[in-house]
Amino acid sequence: MAVTDTETPIHRVLIVGAGFSGLGTALRLQQEGIDDIVILERASEIGGTWRDNTYPGAACDIPSNLYSFSFAQNPAWSRSYAGSNEIMEYIHWLADAYGLRRYIRFNQRVQGLSYDSEEGIWTATTEQGETVRARQAVMAQGPLSNPSYPNIPGLNDFQGRVVHSADWDHDYDFNGKRVAVIGTGASGVQIVPELAKQASKLRVFQRTPCWIMPRLDFRKPEWQKTLFNKVPSAQAAIRKGLFLAHESMATGIIWDTPVNNALERLARAHIRHQVKDRWLRRQVTPEFKLGCKRVLMSSDYYPALQQDNCELITWPIVAINENGIRTAEGIEHQFDCLVFATGFSVPKTGTPFPVYGENGRELGSEWEKGAQAYKSINVAGYPNLFMIFGPNSGPGHNSALVYIEAQIEYIVKSVTTLRSLGVKAMDVREDVQKRHNQHLQKRLARTTWNSGCNSWYLTEDGFNATMYPGFATQYARQMKQVRLEDYRLVSSTGQ
Amino acid sequence: MANIDLNEMLDKVRNSQWALADIDWDKPGADRISAEQWPKLKDFMSDLMWIEHVGARGFAALSKNAEDPTLKEIYAYFHAEEQRHANAEMALMRRWGMLDGDDLPQPNVNLRLTIEWLDRYSDDMPLEVLGSVIPMLEIALDGALLKFLLEEVDDPLCHEVFEKINADEARHLGVDFHVMEMLGKGRMHQRIIKTVGTVANPKLILGVLAYAPLLNRMRDNIVAMGLKEERLYEAMGKYERIGGRTDEGRRNPWFQIISRHGKMVVDRNHIYHKPVDALVKASNYIPTRLLGPVPTWVEKLTWRPTA
Ligand SMILES: Cc1cc2nc3c(=O)[nH]c(=O)nc-3n(C[C@H](O)[C@H](O)[C@H](O)COP(=O)(O)OP(=O)(O)OC[C@H]3O[C@@H](n4cnc5c(N)ncnc54)[C@H](O)[C@@H]3O)c2cc1C
Ligand SMILES: [Fe+2]
Repeated sequence: MAVTDTETPIHRVLIVGAGFSGLGTALRLQQEGIDDIVILERASEIGGTWRDNTYPGAACDIPSNLYSFSFAQNPAWSRSYAGSNEIMEYIHWLADAYGLRRYIRFNQRVQGLSYDSEEGIWTATTEQGETVRARQAVMAQGPLSNPSYPNIPGLNDFQGRVVHSADWDHDYDFNGKRVAVIGTGASGVQIVPELAKQASKLRVFQRTPCWIMPRLDFRKPEWQKTLFNKVPSAQAAIRKGLFLAHESMATGIIWDTPVNNALERLARAHIRHQVKDRWLRRQVTPEFKLGCKRVLMSSDYYPALQQDNCELITWPIVAINENGIRTAEGIEHQFDCLVFATGFSVPKTGTPFPVYGENGRELGSEWEKGAQAYKSINVAGYPNLFMIFGPNSGPGHNSALVYIEAQIEYIVKSVTTLRSLGVKAMDVREDVQKRHNQHLQKRLARTTWNSGCNSWYLTEDGFNATMYPGFATQYARQMKQVRLEDYRLVSSTGQ
Repeated sequence: MANIDLNEMLDKVRNSQWALADIDWDKPGADRISAEQWPKLKDFMSDLMWIEHVGARGFAALSKNAEDPTLKEIYAYFHAEEQRHANAEMALMRRWGMLDGDDLPQPNVNLRLTIEWLDRYSDDMPLEVLGSVIPMLEIALDGALLKFLLEEVDDPLCHEVFEKINADEARHLGVDFHVMEMLGKGRMHQRIIKTVGTVANPKLILGVLAYAPLLNRMRDNIVAMGLKEERLYEAMGKYERIGGRTDEGRRNPWFQIISRHGKMVVDRNHIYHKPVDALVKASNYIPTRLLGPVPTWVEKLTWRPTA
């Protein structure tokens, strides 16, 4: 596939995406003395997730001090949970304080990556016609960066405004409008309380409810105090608990019963305290075990649902037409605006753009039956290519940055090792990758079976398609070491 | 109707949806209801609409209890579809001037008790119980009530609406009987033990105390309107025939219980009616206000095609 090209300069590292992952990689490489870097970013601004998700109420549900890089601590977080604004400020600070902007080429959407085995060089081409060549390539295009719309007939017929949570329309005035929110996952739960303040009529369409924990903010409302009194030591335990719950769901057995049951009791108590009506309680109570899916945090979602202008609708959606949404109970719900809080499309198979490895092999077709990698980061036959949030690296409820950092460090170590050994390429061995995946699949099968959830796959509400079936700490540990014996090393002379 | 493929059924259900807005509720023909018919029809429609609504809540409980994800989703649709039937029947009532503004028709006290029971306990009932009772109610609706209605009422729109309702109902019955057969699989002694355990469950006993007088009251109302009792016999016969057409179906203990019960219900001279009719009478003395407000799921009923 590769066309020999003598004009274009050869950089050390090319990175796709200027979100946390791309910027963090550049930052750490720079600290190790590698600064011949190009970052290709399709948007005109850095920040990824936090640039795109600016819907009212957008915030991080990981405490800020955990949701930041350990190698670049934010001087001051104003709140325990940062809103998207403040996270953007942190990202800007990262870019400015470490001088990362000089690496970035904005408005460059990568449409393909291909490897030239002879030269050991990756070439990225962009939709805008740019070509970038580099020895190493890092795919950091984000696990959740492409908004997805549900597959509802008639979606394009709607005559009013359509807004996606990840592509917010800040010019639209929601005041006095009849608004539908479709989806009750992480974004939906954050948007609803905000829109409930503005819309004249708000209808929230839910397919599956999520477990929602009270959000522990600095100022605590009275009912929350009561709740924590009734469930002793809840407050202190909750964060640790959530961490463990997710860790345990991932491995399935160890902590399952005690921790999850306690948290589930707490989540149920949360519903009982906040929702008076028995039917609504029934509607918002999940049927799956806590921890199967991402646990959400909100103290104002349930109250918002019970406002006079608000109603939760759980009838199956049949179709969208020019006026609104028809549901199976035969009623047409009419709106001025439809808000899709339906998450992102995550390629469970295939790649976001074509990736060609050695001898023209193409990753998307190899992954047709499901994506596989080695430690989520390398793929055999694609030397010197690194992925952030590759297959089976999804964090459950721990800070994504813990995972990102582990991956960045792995990349930095690999790149510096290649440099110091004078090696042209490192390619993970097929057999090693295979063994790694057999092991993973075994663990995955066990977790799925044990956790009582239908699947680990993504729901309409977004989030983790392919989780790492183990502890975050375990993940980080496996990433600590780059085992050269797991790789086929190609020296500069071609051996 | 033999064994059905649930995935295909779910697709079929998804592709067979209709809405109140598809229907022109002001079409000519509303005046074909005779003055003499009107009061009886009003009571009949009101009962019918409440039965649909009660059935809807039953499907909600089934959806909660079904383990198979496809069946769970099918039931979620059926829940909505029964609600749609109740909504459409209210819209017909409104067309015929039988609704008092936005108020729901008054449920009789036995319906109220049944609603109360459904609200509190139906989610805790094993699939076997509701999965075997609901087909009985549906077949009675389908086989007796709806046919009778269509014979009596001349309004072409009524026929149009019930054609849609019947098409839904046919799918419901298909799934109902499929599930009843599924429930008859497995080991006999385990099923019996489980059944005996459930029969002794106080929640179920309360349910029977609500359900039995409801059936008797409905029967009385319907017969008063001129429905031949044979129609009900036929419906019960159909339940027995279809439900018992395979070994699995017959081995479902709940099928046995319910079809026997059905036989008693239609046999006017059966001793069963002594206590049950007494219950009906007794329930007349229950002041409905003691029951408090209806559960909020009831308030979601509406005759308005758009919201
Ligand atoms: C609403 C929301 C809430 C979240 N909340 C949390 C939370 O509370 N805690 C948590 O740990 N995680 C959370 N996450 C996960 C979050 O995605 C990660 O924490 C983190 O921001 C991922 O960073 P990233 O750089 O890998 O990806 P992104 O931030 O998505 O950045 C990827 C970048 O690549 C660019 N790009 C994509 N494709 C191309 C292409 N073809 N060519 C060029 N550029 C491209 C994108 O424009 C983007 O700038 C949340 C995600 C969302 C969507
Ligand atoms: Fe019905």
